Amino acid sequence: MQIYLNQIAHGRSGDKGDTSNVCVFARKPEYYGIIAREVTPERVKAHFGDMVRGEIVRYDVPSLQGFNFVMKHALGGGATHSLRLDSLGKSMGSAFLRMKIEVAEDELG
Amino acid sequence: MKETEPKRKEGEEAMGKVIIGGGQGFWGDSNDAAIHMVRNSDINYMACDYLAELTMSILARQKLKNPKAGYARDFLGMMKECGKEAYEKGIRVLTNAGGMNIEGLVEALAAQASEQGLSGMKIGYVTGDEISDRIPALLKEGVTFENMDDTGDFRDIQDKVFNANVYFGHEPTLECLRQGADMVITGRSTDSALFLAPCMHELGWEADDWDNLARGIMAGHLLECGGQGAGGNYDYGWRDVSRMDELGFPIAEVSEDNFVITKAPDCGGIICEQSCKEQFLYEVHDPANYLTPDVNVDISQATLTQIGENRVRVGNIRGRRRPDMLKLSLGYHAGYKVAGMLSFAWPDAYEKAQYAADIIMKKMKRKNLAAEEVRIDYIGVNALHLGVAETDPEKLKDLNEVVLRIAIRTLTKEEAYKLVPEIAPLQLNGPPGASFFGGRAKVQEVLGLWPCLIPRDAVKLESHILEVV
Repeated sequence: MQIYLNQIAHGRSGDKGDTSNVCVFARKPEYYGIIAREVTPERVKAHFGDMVRGEIVRYDVPSLQGFNFVMKHALGGGATHSLRLDSLGKSMGSAFLRMKIEVAEDELG
Repeated sequence: MKETEPKRKEGEEAMGKVIIGGGQGFWGDSNDAAIHMVRNSDINYMACDYLAELTMSILARQKLKNPKAGYARDFLGMMKECGKEAYEKGIRVLTNAGGMNIEGLVEALAAQASEQGLSGMKIGYVTGDEISDRIPALLKEGVTFENMDDTGDFRDIQDKVFNANVYFGHEPTLECLRQGADMVITGRSTDSALFLAPCMHELGWEADDWDNLARGIMAGHLLECGGQGAGGNYDYGWRDVSRMDELGFPIAEVSEDNFVITKAPDCGGIICEQSCKEQFLYEVHDPANYLTPDVNVDISQATLTQIGENRVRVGNIRGRRRPDMLKLSLGYHAGYKVAGMLSFAWPDAYEKAQYAADIIMKKMKRKNLAAEEVRIDYIGVNALHLGVAETDPEKLKDLNEVVLRIAIRTLTKEEAYKLVPEIAPLQLNGPPGASFFGGRAKVQEVLGLWPCLIPRDAVKLESHILEVV
């Protein structure tokens, strides 16, 4: 079945210039593997489409049951260059967690 | 447990533990939590970060208009409220609020402290991080100013640069503490170095003790955004955060092997594993190589453990030798922008807003608008989530209200002004029920940011002490 990522994960977004990073953590330790499997950089790239124009790199941090996604050219130019209402990408975190992922019903426990 | 101590001066024994509070998350933050922690907690130091990436450029612009401006004035207000109490309790306050006019802030602080009867108080300050006048010489020496984000050619923006600030580490701030400063004012110190310097001073850490330096940096990292480290902007369970109207800011108890994040007694907020996690990776890129001027931090194996109510222990942080280069942040003039807004109500709010956008764009075309970029968003529909927002027409047709927002970026001020008079008239000349609010849109200068690397020896930082009379 399909669920929103935010049902099993939480996170926060930050900015450096035109680069947005979203850290994503499993809401329960057993969800870590699902996120690792489902939320690949390719899937994230497809989710955001032309909102994120640059490379997306995923860093895994198993000791925190988390991941850090670093997305380049993701904020419409960044800081004051960007014409976006949310030029610092404060809502990139929730936009990220809006991604739909595929899980088996028994995986959610 | 450590008790509140009388004022401690240089030469006394190190404490074995240092307690540092984060008093400010950015320029414009609330002073309430800082004042609360000075009054109610047993902190030895409070560090206040005022500088986001663009703040230096904004302060540079302010100083250009008024040579006495250029620092974060809010810090003066905070010190008016709690500076005297901090001084009398021996809480040393560190801040990068000096921005582009460090001496200006120091002078204002000294005058205020003098009025408060704090004669003898030592204000330390650090100068030398602004190096825009040295750019030609550095170019000759072979510094390339290559953009770290792989965009553009430095020669295209060189004439438009109006500030060039080096992100510097703990050294000159630590020197101020060693000279007995009760307060330290800097410009573009990294946020985290303001927290690291007290750790080194009190715990005797050496400048090549990479593991400990990395711990001090991460303690600072968890504190430098103020409330965001204590339950603010908390995605995991924001409804569970107590008394957000009295949100406390985080406090770090740093000792030799680990550190604990907590908060002051009798305030709102939450300190738990999830709240610390969200701040831990915030604005970090590679967790195994978090580069700072002081140390290359490795948090890829780090652990966060709840050890009590609102107490989280942070462990397993490693550090490696600091990078050879320093990050330089240049601000440059990059054109102008303006955004106009108009609100519409049910029925067909979204359709009306789209129709109005079409009218404005036709008028702009007739005015031969030469824009670098045009952006049309609908607040209430897709202004935040953009391409991943809900697009189902069934869900959008019955919206109660939608705000049209049209933003343009231009090379000249004149071009940007073309949009300004075209918004309000649509109240009477466009689809029904349009409402104009907030006054005429203001054309703003676009401040470009140019991050690059320079050799450490390109910058000469100096530490000073001023005694309040």
